[in-house]
Amino acid sequence: MRFIQFSALTIVASAALATTAHAQSDSSQIVIAVPQFPTPKNVKTDGGETGVIGIQISQQIVSDLRTTRAIYPTGPDGLRHYTPTEAGAPLYPNWSGIGAGALVTGYVQGRDDGRINVVCYLYDMKTRREMTRKGFAVAATEWKRAAHRCAGAFYTAVTKRPGLFDSRIAYVAATGSRTQPVKRIALMNWDGTDHSYLTQGEVTVTSPRLSPDGEHVVYMSFAGGLPNIRIMDSDGSNDRQLLQSNSMSFAPRYSPDGRRIAFSMAVDGNTDIYVVDANGGYPQRLTTTPGVDTSPSFSPDGRQIVFESDRSGTQQIYAMNSDGTGQRRLSFGGGSNSAPVWSPDGDKIAFSRWNGSIISIGIMNASGGEDKMLTSGWQDDAPSWSPDSEWVMFQRTQQGTGIGSLQMVSIGGGDPKPVATPQAAADPSWSGVVQ
Amino acid sequence: MIVRALILASAFVASMASAQDYQPFPPGPEQQPAYPQQGYPQPGYPAVQAPVLAIPVLEQDLAVKAGSNTVRFGRDSYVLTPQSQATLTAQAQWLIQHPFVNASIEGHADVRQTRDYALALGERRAAAVRNYLIASGVPPEQLQIVSWGRERPTSNSVHDATWLQNSRVVTVLKQPPQQPQPWLQQPQTLPQPQGYR
Repeated sequence: MRFIQFSALTIVASAALATTAHAQSDSSQIVIAVPQFPTPKNVKTDGGETGVIGIQISQQIVSDLRTTRAIYPTGPDGLRHYTPTEAGAPLYPNWSGIGAGALVTGYVQGRDDGRINVVCYLYDMKTRREMTRKGFAVAATEWKRAAHRCAGAFYTAVTKRPGLFDSRIAYVAATGSRTQPVKRIALMNWDGTDHSYLTQGEVTVTSPRLSPDGEHVVYMSFAGGLPNIRIMDSDGSNDRQLLQSNSMSFAPRYSPDGRRIAFSMAVDGNTDIYVVDANGGYPQRLTTTPGVDTSPSFSPDGRQIVFESDRSGTQQIYAMNSDGTGQRRLSFGGGSNSAPVWSPDGDKIAFSRWNGSIISIGIMNASGGEDKMLTSGWQDDAPSWSPDSEWVMFQRTQQGTGIGSLQMVSIGGGDPKPVATPQAAADPSWSGVVQ
Repeated sequence: MIVRALILASAFVASMASAQDYQPFPPGPEQQPAYPQQGYPQPGYPAVQAPVLAIPVLEQDLAVKAGSNTVRFGRDSYVLTPQSQATLTAQAQWLIQHPFVNASIEGHADVRQTRDYALALGERRAAAVRNYLIASGVPPEQLQIVSWGRERPTSNSVHDATWLQNSRVVTVLKQPPQQPQPWLQQPQTLPQPQGYR
């Protein structure tokens, strides 16, 4: 029953997302034909026969692209079949009658090692030029991720923006009572599919952050009694402590190249920001004020860090170079401002603001100024950017029950849309996409 | 004299909580503690170890003698009010009288802070309480601090009227870590223990 409810909510969420995207880019819609992928030789694999995988991949690409509506996909039903050799050199006259602006071709090939090759192309039908291509050797059971990446590459070729289809969301799933909660780190695809739990709830965990390549999760755990940062692979294996320290450490976040982790450490009532190699080692201290400096987030070029500090008396947003120099205040828009996150395109900073009665999500320019509040819930915090910098996902806490849920709001405005999760949810982290 | 008073006081508390069979330290050979034993069992030795102290009973005693095991704060504040200082002075006296029990100073922030700042603020409050207790004479090694941030609210509901109740520091008593005893690690060089003398 819970599963049915979950699926239904996912569909509602996806549909809601599609409608809004539609409103943004209706005029420049492009029709893309996606015939089914052929296979040179139909062989059995762990993920099914390669011929069937070819049909499934083309269906997945269509359903991915359909959520954007910057692109109108057609197929795979009703389109002509072609051979794998034609995939790299389409016979344009044979496709001219379908009324599409662009054509997707590709093929699926079984490999001797049991994996499969997935190759996909996008052709402009007017200029008869190749727009982009992708090729992957993946485990046969991972065909869906190859399809997501193909769809993402097509979306990027058309719109010049990263596609969301291969992105994932880590968050904290909460069950139990509020005074004795059970918290587990959960991971799902951006559309709510492939949901899994990475920790099993023995200890309280918070703030999961995906590495830029999506392979690792860094998070804070109360394992051992003291809050400390831990790191694990994104399937939950290889879990280990990041630092050898007797002080509590928290608020971890990856640098854009995935090599460093910025975090805060509290020593005798003073919290400062440090940065450490993602493999561990000796941390470098970046701030030295006696107040609380926390919630660091790197700029996409890795050269700057935005963070919050109460050195002025209230929490405000500051930025500094990634070696700790050049610290300057960015937020002057009133209230106390916290939890800043730099957008993936580098232009904006999302934050949450306490105005004395509610906490809401806002965005401002990366150089400060032009504050714009996006939500007006009782308590909206923990913002996280979508890979295309068009959406901010956040945690909404309901007044009274205190139950948390994930919501996402477009930076263009409009009402936030719920993101379906099986249980109460907090602390979202939206991964980037591998180009 | 102090020890005798302590034993009497403890016996009084134990009689109040009859379900908890509290043992004064150290127990006689004929009265084994009723609590689960942690220890280092060695073949050929009787199960005689330091007793596991009755933490719930001691916490009740602390709350009665010091007035409370909790001090509260205003939003964003880590300043100890005069009322908090009086409570902590009494807690310090209790801790000095009970050197065999450790205390974990657990700081909390209210649920309307952002998550990272709540952790930092809880730590800052806990550090303020620890420093006050040390200044009042409690040995530093008896104390450790931890911040729960906003992860452990006191009540199941949040309203504008109640959320600030979560800004608090709680003194939680802990069994001190058991030290391995040398005579248990080298049984072959030592005679069989003959019980307590």
